[in-house]
Amino acid sequence: MAEVPAKLEKDGSWVTSRIDIGNDGIILKDPWNVTVSYRSIIDLQKRGQVIILVATMPDKTERQYKIASVEKVLAILTKKVIMAANAYRIMAHFMSPAIRGGVLVTDAKWEKGAISVLKTGIWFVSQEKQISVPLKEVASLELTKRELQKKKLDVIKIDHLESGEVVTSFILCPLSTLQVLYNFLRDATKEMDMKGSELDQLDAQAAQVAMLIYSGMDTKSIENMLNLPPEELNAIYETLLKLKLVDVVMVRKEVQLTPKGVRYITDALKPPS
Amino acid sequence: MGRILIVDDTLFMRTLLKNILSSGGHEIVGEAEDGDIGVTKYKELKPDLVTMDVVMPKMNGIEALKAIKALDTNAKVIMCTAVGQEQMVKLAIKSGARGYIVKPFQAPKVLEEIGNVLGA
Repeated sequence: MAEVPAKLEKDGSWVTSRIDIGNDGIILKDPWNVTVSYRSIIDLQKRGQVIILVATMPDKTERQYKIASVEKVLAILTKKVIMAANAYRIMAHFMSPAIRGGVLVTDAKWEKGAISVLKTGIWFVSQEKQISVPLKEVASLELTKRELQKKKLDVIKIDHLESGEVVTSFILCPLSTLQVLYNFLRDATKEMDMKGSELDQLDAQAAQVAMLIYSGMDTKSIENMLNLPPEELNAIYETLLKLKLVDVVMVRKEVQLTPKGVRYITDALKPPS
Repeated sequence: MGRILIVDDTLFMRTLLKNILSSGGHEIVGEAEDGDIGVTKYKELKPDLVTMDVVMPKMNGIEALKAIKALDTNAKVIMCTAVGQEQMVKLAIKSGARGYIVKPFQAPKVLEEIGNVLGA
């Protein structure tokens, strides 16, 4: 590929520059003036129109490069990196998204492509799609079976968060490879596993509360649905917070009128004289 | 907005769906705790849409779906099942289901799916 325009970031400043996407590496012009071989790349993240590459230097240190360009250029670069980076990579079929927010995606189909597990995320790349699932957004992994052409085949099911929605994707490949990939992903996301002692702290009611939060219910709705007094729901929230199963997104205030407030309302309701 | 019948054997799920659907402006015209009652209530209430659990006692969701479609070929039924039972999807779609929801689900997506099916 010939040189294409791009913006490159260094020390917090963006410089209008050019990049050359080659077969073995990418040449980053001013201000870097460096060739980054794809084999040295250990991570790739895409945030809007920006790609963040992390490469290992000869002295074993890691260096981050941020590249902004048009979608077409970023797509070509992403594919090159995914196919050659220093990562666990397999050829497989994937379906993503298959389920979104609990609703089956009716036009979901299996795509043939590559799956690459980089430092912070899993990438699915096919002719048509480039999908990234950050490892920190992986909610659950499961080896399960799925019917394809009247055969029940082993697949990995990945539940992950995408813009607040829970999305389910499937990976299909020969069982031996699937098992290796599954173990690799389990290991990469093991900090999210619940320990037995943690599970012991969650009773059936806490599980119901968690399910309602998942469904998008607010505090008032949960209190009403489960007929829970606020103090009990707060105690369950504390348990969920302690186990890092939830985050606080807003603190609501319960208030009552002061005498001044009561006077204000009383006066406001008086008919005009 | 539609008149909806919820068929699910667990009170918790019925209550959750009722809350989600009501918040979307839909009217819950009835609830049933198994497929058999669901079919009876369908005849009686003629809802615009049914949300149907798959695994239920007496008559399961697929049988109830078939019975409802036998009564009314235009019936709009969305199946609702737990994770791991997705293999039922093909059977349900073949039997006439218009959509499929997998538990646990998120309210906005459920409302979107219900809206799509009602509008179709």
